Order: sequence, then C-alpha cells, then structure tokens
Amino acid sequence: MLRGVLDLCLLAVVADEPAYGYEMTRRLRARGLSIVGEGSIYPLLGRLERDGLVETHREASNGGPPRKYYRTSSAGQRALADGIGEWKSARDAIDVVLGLVEAEVQQ
Amino acid sequence: MSRFIEECRREWKRLRVPDAIANEMAADLAADLAEAEAEGASAEDVLGDAVFDPRAFALSWAEERGVVAAAPVRSGMRPSTALALVAAVLVLVAVVGAALVVVDRPGAFGVRLAASGTRSLVPPRFTFIRPGVARAGGNRLLVPRFRIAAAPGVVIAPNVPDTAQAGIALLFVGLVGGAIVAALAWLLRRRPTIL
Repeated sequence: MLRGVLDLCLLAVVADEPAYGYEMTRRLRARGLSIVGEGSIYPLLGRLERDGLVETHREASNGGPPRKYYRTSSAGQRALADGIGEWKSARDAIDVVLGLVEAEVQQ
Repeated sequence: MSRFIEECRREWKRLRVPDAIANEMAADLAADLAEAEAEGASAEDVLGDAVFDPRAFALSWAEERGVVAAAPVRSGMRPSTALALVAAVLVLVAVVGAALVVVDRPGAFGVRLAASGTRSLVPPRFTFIRPGVARAGGNRLLVPRFRIAAAPGVVIAPNVPDTAQAGIALLFVGLVGGAIVAALAWLLRRRPTIL
C-alpha cells in the first residue's frame, strides 16, 4: 500500500504545477513528508513516466542546465482521484481498527 | 558525487540502457545533486539509502522506467542467438530422424539397411529322394540320392536399436525440443520491450 501511496504523493505535488526531480523532493518536504528514506523518488518517477501518469518536458532552469519537468497527465489525474478515494477508505478503516485500542495503549 | 553517477552509468551500460536515455538520467541526477549541494543538503538527503548502493539504484531506476531491454547476459551470446542455434540443431536432429524412419520402411527404396548386424551362416538344406541301385563287381548296392533344397547363405540380423527406432527417437527429440525452444522464444518476445 505504501508504494502506491508514494506514487500518489508525487502525482499530487505536480498536479497543479510542473516540477523537476529535486523540486518535487522540496515540495514534499515543505508539506512535511520526506520519502527519500524509502529509496529515492527517481525510480518512482520512472514508473509514473512509463505508465503515462506524468508528462515530461525539458526546460531551462535558472542559470543551470535544462531540467526535466514532470506534470500529472490526464491519466495521472484519474489515477490520483481514484487513489485519493482508496487512500481515504483505507485510512478510515485503519483509524477504526486502531481507535479500538487507542485508549487502552495510551493509559 | 561524480563517482556515484559514474557507477550508475556503468550499470546502465551493463544493462544496455540506450545511451541517450542514460545520458539524460545522469544529467538530471547530476543537476539535482548539484542543486542540493548548493543548498547545503547532502546526497543522502536526495537519494536516501540508495546513495550507498549506486548499482542497485541505477538498476531500480532503469527497470521502473522500463529501459532495460533484456536481462544482462554474462556470456557474449544473446539469448535469441543461443535459442536460434539450439533450434537449428533440433531441426537437424528431427530431419535426420525422419530420414531414418523413411529409409527403414521395407521396400521404401527397394533396399533395407542392414549394414551392421549379427551375421550367421545358413547350411544348405538337402532333400532325400528315392535311392538308386548301382552294380559293383556283381553286387548291387543301394545308393542314397538327394538334392539341394536350399543353397547355403549368410543371414544378417540387424542390431538393436533398429534404424527405424533410432529415427523415431531422434524425431521425437527434435520435435519436443523444438516445441520447448518455440515456447522459450515466445516468452522472450513477451518481455516488456522498451522504447
């Protein structure tokens, strides 16, 4: 489940505005999520690109070399919408399971 | 970090990732690492645990992106070449087997192969006929008479396995092996093709 959730997070941070690899890492961190401990975002981006869930283009960056920008594709938008629904369902179910014992373990 | 990227490049080369794509991935990675470094972040902040295993990182990225054309072959021969060679040998075996089966059919060419076998002599067969009478010195002698019913000869009993049996075995090996090779070739073609 976690693997799919990380994909969703990457799709989410480029849903509105394209970003290159490191910029995506920065956006995730700014929202309180660091996923590099799981490996790195590059293989995930590779899979999203292969599956057509992101579109890419090259664009010059500020003073640096041209960067590869990622943006959620229309298929990616649909996958994101579906994934958010699934995540909420899973989260609610887990909340129920954990909520049953939360009071006991915190005593 | 250039060493990390060089390790990645080596791995992509080993995986036969197309140069253009390997160059692109290496350039993107180098730019991101340089930007992180300029901000005071370490490579580990960008790559996580992967920074300690560049080959695994490179393999994972290339696989997920779908740019690994085929599993790397340690020997110089590609799987498709090896399969083609095996298929050629199996076809040859099947053809030889079929030829042996056809040739060994009695009367197929008016000749039955019995080049090797156990040879045994067959003695002549005699048939006795009514005895005759001969005179010798005033005495009459009874003389046995016979005629040759069958001439002596040589019989060749073919050794086991019979030529036809050997042919059938070769044909079987060729056909079954061919089916296996065809299945393997089909599986290889079904592997995700890249680009």
